[in-house]
Order: sequence, then structure tokens, then C-alpha cells
Amino acid sequence: MSRSQTIILVSLVASILSSAFAVLASANQFSAIAQDNNSNSEKKLVGGHAMGYSAYETSGDVLDPVNNDGKMGKDAVMNPEKYLRSFNYGRISTSPNGTTVREFTLVADDRQTMEISPGVSYNVWTFNGTVPGPTLRATEGDIIRIKFINNGTMPHTIHTHGIHKAEMDGVFEIINPGGQYIYEFPAEHFGVYPYHCHVQPLEQHISHGLYGAYIVDPKTPRPPADEMVMIMNGFDTDFDTENNFYGVNTIPYYYMHHPIEIEKDRLVRVYLVNMLEFDQINNFHLHGNLYNLYRSGTSLQPDELTDMVTMSQGERGILEFSYKYPGQYMFHAHKTEFAEKGWTGLFMVKDSSETQHIASSGGGR
Amino acid sequence: MEKENDQLKGPNEKRLSAVRMVAVALIPIVVLAAMIAYLLGPGQSLLNTGTPLPEVSIERIEFHEGQIVALVRNTGPIDVTVAQADVNDRIHPAAIEPSKELPRLAEAKVIIPFPWSAGEPYEIGITTSDGTRFSKGVTAAAPAPAPSIEQASFFALVGTYVGIIPVLIGLMWFPFIRRVGSNAYRFFLSLTAGLLVFLGIDALVESNGIAAENIAGVFNGQILIVMITIFSFLTLQYISEKLVGRAQMKLASGSTTRVQTERQELIRPVAIALMISIGIGLHNFGEGLAIGAAVVLGQVALGTFLIIGFTLHNTTEGLAIAAPLAKIDRRRAMIRKLLVMGMIAGAPIIVGTWIGGFLYSPIAAIIFLSIGAGAIFQVVFAIYSWMSRADITRTRILSDAYALSGFAVGMGIMYATGLLVPS
Repeated sequence: MSRSQTIILVSLVASILSSAFAVLASANQFSAIAQDNNSNSEKKLVGGHAMGYSAYETSGDVLDPVNNDGKMGKDAVMNPEKYLRSFNYGRISTSPNGTTVREFTLVADDRQTMEISPGVSYNVWTFNGTVPGPTLRATEGDIIRIKFINNGTMPHTIHTHGIHKAEMDGVFEIINPGGQYIYEFPAEHFGVYPYHCHVQPLEQHISHGLYGAYIVDPKTPRPPADEMVMIMNGFDTDFDTENNFYGVNTIPYYYMHHPIEIEKDRLVRVYLVNMLEFDQINNFHLHGNLYNLYRSGTSLQPDELTDMVTMSQGERGILEFSYKYPGQYMFHAHKTEFAEKGWTGLFMVKDSSETQHIASSGGGR
Repeated sequence: MEKENDQLKGPNEKRLSAVRMVAVALIPIVVLAAMIAYLLGPGQSLLNTGTPLPEVSIERIEFHEGQIVALVRNTGPIDVTVAQADVNDRIHPAAIEPSKELPRLAEAKVIIPFPWSAGEPYEIGITTSDGTRFSKGVTAAAPAPAPSIEQASFFALVGTYVGIIPVLIGLMWFPFIRRVGSNAYRFFLSLTAGLLVFLGIDALVESNGIAAENIAGVFNGQILIVMITIFSFLTLQYISEKLVGRAQMKLASGSTTRVQTERQELIRPVAIALMISIGIGLHNFGEGLAIGAAVVLGQVALGTFLIIGFTLHNTTEGLAIAAPLAKIDRRRAMIRKLLVMGMIAGAPIIVGTWIGGFLYSPIAAIIFLSIGAGAIFQVVFAIYSWMSRADITRTRILSDAYALSGFAVGMGIMYATGLLVPS
């Protein structure tokens, strides 16, 4: 063979080998089969939780935010268990004229990347390090004083819904990074309100997490109940102006794998706020029960007895109900898309004889 | 060889020993390695700007009993961790094997237990740990063909109908073409060339579509098509020249009897017909991959109408093989040659459907389609260069009305029958 023939032959063989390699590399089956065989680690089950779904045993990893086999990491943006029944009444003092003054400190930050769903991290913008921020609570007529510190890298404010002077509205007094402001106003009218950052682009500041709930109790407290706060929210983690995750109190499906324990026949009061960005509506549907709905919480007379309330962004209400029968009951958005992207939870109704440990936070303090 | 080397050297250059030659050749590589080591180590901070974005490609989606399986690959510039899977943008529990951690170019199998319904469209999504979602749609869910005897024989039956039978039917034009006059013969040879050019372009367009839709940018699918087509053309040109040249040399070395001259005349048309059948065989292999994959991907319901379309479309391929052989005076031996060539051209479609259906790989598909395209263009080149030399057809192709109209009619036939086949 001449030299040129040899060269051609060698290059032929080389190119055939390399294309064969490319074919093998792209034909996933080969490695997939190999992977099935060489696993001696423990097997895990996935699926099979829902009707009609077969279970699958895997030697690989489980991706399951619904049943939380993934588990939240330490850098989770909040603990929905703790947040649910936490109410911040502020540092209490009395003004010279005898009015109760409640002082709160809210610190805004926009630099943290934290876990918002098992295994998914996102640049959250927070009040006091969590999304949603702390639930502020006062009684009608109290003086609210919020010391606001902007610890972030861009301007932020606090805009509270309710009745107050223009300069306490958190719209025109932009607080730059490192800046501070004191918002002071009387708590009126009783009800449930959102608070949120009001810096443009508003959509960005809200969708990243700068919001929370603010409750004003009537002077005569509502009847004692097992009280909880639920903020309906979501996250657009790939910035296509559509939410990838939905939930109440941030973590998708959290109350599915950590059902909320309540007592049979005991009054439950949910302070519900819709802060969902991008979607026009959101709603709250309760299984096996009806609730008294107090729209905006500004009346002591219920507006409706229902199992469904639909809210646009910023709308809110108080839901009161008690369960007649023990067992597990779902609550979720009846926009099933949201429900199947995380906005689903469970109430675990127990007979009072079984439940001694439930926190019994009354209507007052 | 010695002489050649000496001529290439300048007068002042001294010959280096083999070891020193290797050493000299390695110097730039060593320097390059040192630079990369520096950039990965202390030099790292100098060049890091911007945020590298993750990219995950879903290469294949299969529907199994009660589960959907997606084969995913990290085709981006950084390692990724997969956080969740979804069906139609709704989160579903899933398993990922071997691991949710995907280094660059690594692949994984995502298994989603899901009661899917045949015939419905689905979109499968994968979300990485930074919340980015990557998705791929399937037009209509169809159960993944398991490599069983039944499935294999079904594909073989389909392949026989769309590949082998039409080519053999086309070969039955052989006696007709034998009897046509010289002008008509040039018309039919050019018609063959027209058919082939259409097939070649079709293969390029099809592989381009696969590259654009199913192959991640990192694999440079479109460049691969051009590379392989050119390489296939040149290689087949080289091989056919060598084969014909060697055969002619053998014959020429003996005395020139009447029989041998006749044989010599025979070699080129037979070689051309063989190359045509190999080229068409490669094309049909690619077509088989596409049919098998389309069945898996749920894009095609293989119905009678579709099979009739493929049959009409492929019948002309038999004509292409028969035409160059038609004017050879040895009818008896030709029949067997024709049958063999028909099988070479038609049978690969069956193997193609098996591979396409059972282990579909988009890269394999474009490689074979491009090899087929190169082979087909080489055959067209061979037909025209032979037509301009052979005694029966000797003519200036570009100024021949019969050749021109044949070429146009060939392409037109393919276009018209192609309307019966969804692409």
C-alpha cells in the first residue's frame, strides 16, 4: 500500500470510530441499562401516593416535592410550621395620652439566595429574612411605629394598606440602601391587610418576596379560636412572568407532608391574604366543610358561608370554621394548575382527647 | 519516498531524529496545557465575567406502562442539579437515575410514574436547582416499542412494504429501458439523477430538522451534517475510482479479446449501479430510522395511506438502479445482479426501523442521513461523468434537451409522490 492509501485508511478508521462513539454517546439506552445493573445502594420508592399512580423503585435520586422525600435544606427561606401561628405584637409602650404604642422593626434585604422548594434556590427579597415577612398585629386604636432599615442593594419601602397620612404610605419616600425610615400611624380600621414594598418595578419587588400580613383586631376581640395566617404566594424562578411555584406560606406542598393539626369542634380562624404576582386570581377551597367568610376582615358579620373564595392580588379575608368529623381534609386553590404546582395542603382534624399539644393562641394575646 | 522527502527539505535543514521530531511537535501542546492549568488555578479570577447559565436537553421521551421516562443531558457550561420534574407543567414525584447531580454532558434517566393516555400530547419539564425549567413536547403519546419479536417483525413488515417491494417493482422497468433509443435513454439516466438529487436534498433537509430540534447546540449538529456529507462524497468517490481502476487494470493486463473488451465496458455501469444501490440503501436506512423514531415519538400513525405513499415514492429508486445497466448486452447475469442490488438498496430500511424504533438516537440519525446524502451526490456525479464518456450516451450533458428534461421530470416525480408522505 502506498503512503497516501495508508493515510486515507487511517483517517477512515478514525472517523468511523469517532462517529460510532458519537452514536453510542447519544444512545442513552446503553448507559441507562448499565446504570440499572451496577447499583447496590438502597432502593427508594417514588410515586404510588396518588390513585392510579404506580410506584417505582429506584436506585437513583428521588425528586418529590409533593411528599417531600427531598427535604428542605437549612437555608430554607422560612419555616411554614412556625410562621403559621406566629403573630408579632411589637414592643409595647404607652404614650403620654394613654394610647398603646407598638414598635416593630423591619429590615429589608435583597441579597440572599435561599431554598423556596426542595432543591430549588432563588434570590429572595425579604423582610426580616423570610418570605413572607413577619405578621404584624395590633388592636384598633393602637399606634403602630415601624422602624424600617434598608439593608439591601436597591431602594425599598413599606407600603401598608389601611388608613394613614400620605407620608406614611411608603410610596414617595424612597429609602435607599443603608437608609432608615419610621412609619407611624394609628391602627384603623380593624381587619386584615397586606404590607409590601412599593418601589418600581413593583412586580419585581413583590414577586421576589417583599410582603407580609398586618392584622388589626377589633377593640372587642373576636371569639377565641385556633388562629393562623396564610399568605397565598408564588415564585417565578425562570423570569418568564409565569409562576413556577405556588403555595400558601411560600413552600410548595409543605402542609401536605406536614398537615396542620386542628381540633374537632374547635373554632379555627384563618387570616388569608393573596399576594400572588402574575396571575389575575387565586382562591381557597376547603374540603369537607364550609367557612364563614369576612371579606377584608372589616366587619364582624360574615359575608358568606362557603367553601370557595376567589381573590385578586392584594385581596384578603378572614375564614372561620370548625370540623365536625376527625380525619384529613385538603385545602387548595381551585385553580387546579396552582394546586398541582404546590398550592395544596391538609388539615388533620383530631378528636380533642388526642390533641393536648396544639398551641392555643386566643383571639387577643 | 526518500526522494520526495529530500525534495521537500530546504538545503540548510538538517534531519532530526524521530524522538526529537516528536518532542518538537509536543512543545506547543505542553505550553497549552500549562496555560490551561494556570487559568484553572491562580488565573481563574482574571477571566470570570458574567453568569454561566445552566442548560439541560431532554433528548428522548418514552411512554411505558404507568410511567413516562425522559432521557436528559446536561448540555450547558456548568454542572447542574435537577430539583423536580413535571408533566404538562404540573409537578409530579419522579425518580432520576443514576443521580440528580449532572456534570457537564452527563446524562440521566427521569422516571415519572404517571397514568398517561395514548394519543394525547404531553410536555415534560425538568427544573434545575436555580429554578430554570427546560421542557420538551410530544405530539401524541404512544407506547414505546419494546424490542420484542412481534415488534421487530412488525417493523420488518413495514420495511418490506416501504423499502424492498417498491425498489423491486421499480427494477421491473429494466426491460423497458433496454429497448428505448439513445435519446430516451439519456432522458431516463438524467431522470435517475433528478430522483437522486431530490433524495439527497431531502436527506439534508431532514437531518437539518433533526439537528435543529433534537440535538443540543453543544454537539454542533448542523456542522456535523456538512462534514459527514462532504466526507462521505469524497470517500465513496475514492473507493469507486479504486474499484473500477483495479478491475480495469486486471483486464487490460491480459490480451484484448472480444470478451474482455466487452467486460471492460461493463465495469463502469455495474459499478455505478452498485454505488447507486449503496447510496439508496444508506438513504433508506436513514428513512427507516426516521420511520421507527416517528412511531416511537408518536408523530406518525402508520396507516395504509402512508405506506402507499412511501411505496410510490420509493418505486422510482428501482428505476435509478436499473437505468445504468440497461444497455449492457448480457441479460441473463443481469437479473441476479439486479435482485442483489435491489436488496442492497431496500433492505437497510428494515434495519433502520429497528434501530430507529428501539434505540433512537438523533445523532445516529443525522450521521446516517448525511452519509446517505454524500453517497447520493457522489452517484449523481458518477452518472453524469459516465454519460459524458460512454459510447452509447456520449453527449454534452448541459446542452442536451433530453438530459435536462429527464432531470426535471425526475425531481418533479419525487416532489409529487413526496406529497403523499408527511415529512
